[in-house]
Amino acid sequence: MYQEKKDYQSWICDKCQKELELTKVKVHYLEGEFEVELLNCPTCHQVFINESLALGKMAEVEQGLEDK
Amino acid sequence: MRHVISKTQSLCPVCLKKIPALKWNKNNETYMEKSCPEHGRFKTLIWRGSIPMENWVRNKKRTTIKNPNTTVDKGCPYDCGLCEDHRQHTCTALIEVTQNCNLKCSFCFANAEGNWQKDLSLETIDSMYKSVMKTSGKCNIQLSGGEPTLRDDLPEIIKMGHEIGFPFIQVNTNGIRLGEDENYVKLLKEAGMDSVFLQFDGTNNQIFEKLRGKPLFEIKIKALENCQKYGIGVVLVPTLVSGINDQDIGNIINFGLKWIPTVKGVHFQPVSYFGRIPDFPENEKRITLGEVMDRIEEQTDSKFKVQDFNPPGCENALCSFHGNYIYQKNNELMTLKRNVSCCGTEKAEEGARKTKAYVSRKWAGHQKAEEIKAEKSDVVDVIDHGFDEILDRINRYSFSISAMVFQDAWNLDLERVKDCCIHVVNTRGQLIPFCMYNLTNKEGKSLYRLDQ
Repeated sequence: MYQEKKDYQSWICDKCQKELELTKVKVHYLEGEFEVELLNCPTCHQVFINESLALGKMAEVEQGLEDK
Repeated sequence: MRHVISKTQSLCPVCLKKIPALKWNKNNETYMEKSCPEHGRFKTLIWRGSIPMENWVRNKKRTTIKNPNTTVDKGCPYDCGLCEDHRQHTCTALIEVTQNCNLKCSFCFANAEGNWQKDLSLETIDSMYKSVMKTSGKCNIQLSGGEPTLRDDLPEIIKMGHEIGFPFIQVNTNGIRLGEDENYVKLLKEAGMDSVFLQFDGTNNQIFEKLRGKPLFEIKIKALENCQKYGIGVVLVPTLVSGINDQDIGNIINFGLKWIPTVKGVHFQPVSYFGRIPDFPENEKRITLGEVMDRIEEQTDSKFKVQDFNPPGCENALCSFHGNYIYQKNNELMTLKRNVSCCGTEKAEEGARKTKAYVSRKWAGHQKAEEIKAEKSDVVDVIDHGFDEILDRINRYSFSISAMVFQDAWNLDLERVKDCCIHVVNTRGQLIPFCMYNLTNKEGKSLYRLDQ
């Protein structure tokens, strides 16, 4: 899907061959909705979330939104 | 005609002997009816509201108590300690650090007043903490009374609890000293007090005068200001009494919203008839969970809705409801819905674990995260910054609306007792389900409280 170039800032979309850009994206979990800046493809708008974000801060947000 | 929805066991409100009980519906009301061969028939309203009681369910697979303190001898509820028949772990262990109090409230489950009783020694409290750790592990602790802030050594008691390993320690208080003595609040914070469970019955002094005998509204504000100053999370706890403050529910919630992020939620407790009570209960005056939910919706112009609320995953479904929200930057509330299916059976143990974690995360005070970077030099920083802001909002601006209805000798359901997760520690280190510890019969005789 993605090809890594030099670092986190340089990713291109495999399908569109466009460099990912940082834009505001709406993220949803359960009933929660927030706006954050994430890397995504300017053409197909596929969002890229790397592993450390998914297992780190994003997981923390999910836990915070979960009920007891 | 009456539609019987279930059978359970209860106690006679006079002799406290175990007797069978029926629960039946008529229109939108549910009653418990029971008969003692010696003392006659008792009919008590246990539910009234738009959601029928039989729909308020959350099935759980029972857990087992690994280190029971008592053996099963006479059967529930006469062997509390916990015994091996108990079905839920401790979520909150409650330690009454004093029986003295600076108020004499018309309703008081502890029947506390005056300043004449000898307080528990620190050695006794230490052994009580250790007994909780042995039986229930790292549960949440609530220090209660009497009025715990009458003790000058309360900071030391909090430190002891943390040193033994309890991560979350809350103080249950009327707030008078917290309002009058800022330095004491500072000492409590430094000792590691995580949260204040603040008696808060209404938004005007007529309510406080009727329930507490004094105009306390201004001192409650001072207490909140001092907690705000030291970053201590506060939960407002109104005791709901029919005809006194049941029309102030919406005002209390709106008051709480204005105090976010210091106020973390409002936890309603419809009054129960144990300990010191002014009159015997009348069905017309009972306030049940179903109608608290309805009144919240009515009195907040549907800002909070009945459909927002869920039955608990920890205690028995009939003991409580809760709804969780996040106060957003645009001053709107985001409702957090339950992320589990409405059907099927969950593990009670998992419910207790989640509740302990949830309470310590959402009811504690949080300072604004210092590490949120203002500088956004690269992509990683920008993305991290966005998520840090969301986490800060979740941690500091969560707001909960909840209610717990305790059981007295009239409405007692032993199925609920077996599922209880709020346990009072006695001086022998035994853990007694909260309602059993406080239960008194018609003459005021206690089942457990004076058994020390």
